[in-house]
Amino acid sequence: MSLHELFALSFVQHAFYAVTAVALAAGPVGYFVVIRRQAFAAHAIGHVGFAGAAGAVLLGLSPIMGLLVFCLGAGLLIGAGAATLDDRDAVVGVTLTAAMGLGVLFISLYSGYANATYSILFGQILGVTWGDVGLVVALSLGVLAVVSFAYRPLLFASVDAQSAEARGLSTRAMSLLVMSLLAITIVVAIQIVGVLLDFSLLVAPAATAEVLTNRPFEAVLWSTGLALASSWFGLFLGVWLGGPVSFWITGLASTAYLLARMSDAFRTRRGHRVVA
Amino acid sequence: MCEVNALSMHSGAVILGGHSVWRDATFTLDSGSITAVLGPNGAGKSTLINVILGLVPLSEGSLEVLGSPPQRGNSRVGFLAQSRHADELSTLTGRDYVGLGFDGPRFGWGRDRAKHDVVQRALALTGTASFADRPLRTLSGGQRQRVALAHATVFRPELLLLDEPLAGLDLAAQAEIVDLINLIRDSTGAAVVVVAHDLNPLAPIVDQVLWIARRQVRSGSVEQVVNEEVLSELYGHPIEIIVTPRGRRVIVGLEEELAHPHPHGHDHSHEGAQHHVGEPHHEESL
Repeated sequence: MSLHELFALSFVQHAFYAVTAVALAAGPVGYFVVIRRQAFAAHAIGHVGFAGAAGAVLLGLSPIMGLLVFCLGAGLLIGAGAATLDDRDAVVGVTLTAAMGLGVLFISLYSGYANATYSILFGQILGVTWGDVGLVVALSLGVLAVVSFAYRPLLFASVDAQSAEARGLSTRAMSLLVMSLLAITIVVAIQIVGVLLDFSLLVAPAATAEVLTNRPFEAVLWSTGLALASSWFGLFLGVWLGGPVSFWITGLASTAYLLARMSDAFRTRRGHRVVA
Repeated sequence: MCEVNALSMHSGAVILGGHSVWRDATFTLDSGSITAVLGPNGAGKSTLINVILGLVPLSEGSLEVLGSPPQRGNSRVGFLAQSRHADELSTLTGRDYVGLGFDGPRFGWGRDRAKHDVVQRALALTGTASFADRPLRTLSGGQRQRVALAHATVFRPELLLLDEPLAGLDLAAQAEIVDLINLIRDSTGAAVVVVAHDLNPLAPIVDQVLWIARRQVRSGSVEQVVNEEVLSELYGHPIEIIVTPRGRRVIVGLEEELAHPHPHGHDHSHEGAQHHVGEPHHEESL
């Protein structure tokens, strides 16, 4: 089958629209997660989502509803409890463990768990329906609109919480906002790459961007561009060569990070580090 | 009074966590003046800043900031936080950080066309233009502090609150920052409040001193406050001040004030993180 024919297939088109939407939200949100050093929270929320999805499947509901409820709940809990750096890790860790425990319980109660579990954990990009695409696009555009509207205050509160607080921004409100946006982004990312691999779109492109540039707005563009590129090429390679699409996306995103770090280290060692 | 004071407090008192931090504080700060806030660690200097910023309420008394009650997020008040750990890690450039001082609190999609010029002026005033495009983490402590001052003044505040701006700097850098504070006051006309633990580096530019100790606040000129009589009364035991031939003051007898300001050793969470309460300072050279 030629490439042209492959991309004429409706399930490939669905996947294309879905990854595009996810990457558009994950790039900017991931940047804030990375500069706030909250990658652990991103990890935890995904796993909490696993419990939510498993619970929804058990109750015969749509997994995405379970994901939304649990991820948002965990995001708000972490955002409220860990507005300051001091107790962040503990709050996130306890939330994570409690949710994973629930997830294990739900799965043990649900007899036909194998398939559902697998797709929640590793994504099922090529099984995305038109309905899923609609939801993913709507959620992603919503996230993108809010991130761009609150871009400056989010950045301010993330880099200098004390000054931001003194200038009238609520650090706690900003923390809750970032965590809610993160939760929704994770819900859409899980549709594509699954719980275990949501980092590939959320953290890897943003971390790469942070290595590539010191300018925040450029970093957001890089992060989004890299998330898009990994998604598109990952989908292309998965369809063309076979193998799970989420493997390709993760592989590309991680490779980009590795290359960026290597070239940065090389420049630093040669003393030609570009600082501007 | 024909001219509105930058700050005027009348019988102010603060209670945090059930404990009185200081009380009966009455003072006024003139527009365009520079005031040093001094006193032992944990005496409530940062609390005073938080009260002025509207982050901590007075439990008694009244305060007017630029003629109005203190209000969180007042765009006429600038603030430089004491320790900004993030700076040491930040890949953010000085220019972007100063830019956040200008429009960081603003929501919305639009861009402010004036921003570039305003930021450029702040960089020029603070002498930071030559390294403004480097990440904060690559700057020296003194350079970083100059950028931070540009950040705190870029929106032209009429009252500028600086919490320990000289902490952690070597003497040369301290002198540069003191000159810069003076320059900012002269060119913007802002009233400046500087929290410090040493009066000497600031002495050349200071118009007024606020001394906080043992829950009391004394204010006046350097001569009115930093003398043996007032400090002895404030601390409740004899204090000696030795003036060196070059005019610097060494204050002897403060060591007994090292203990916690609260006799039962209750942790003072607002202060504890910023002040090294109980750290042995055998002598504060003031």
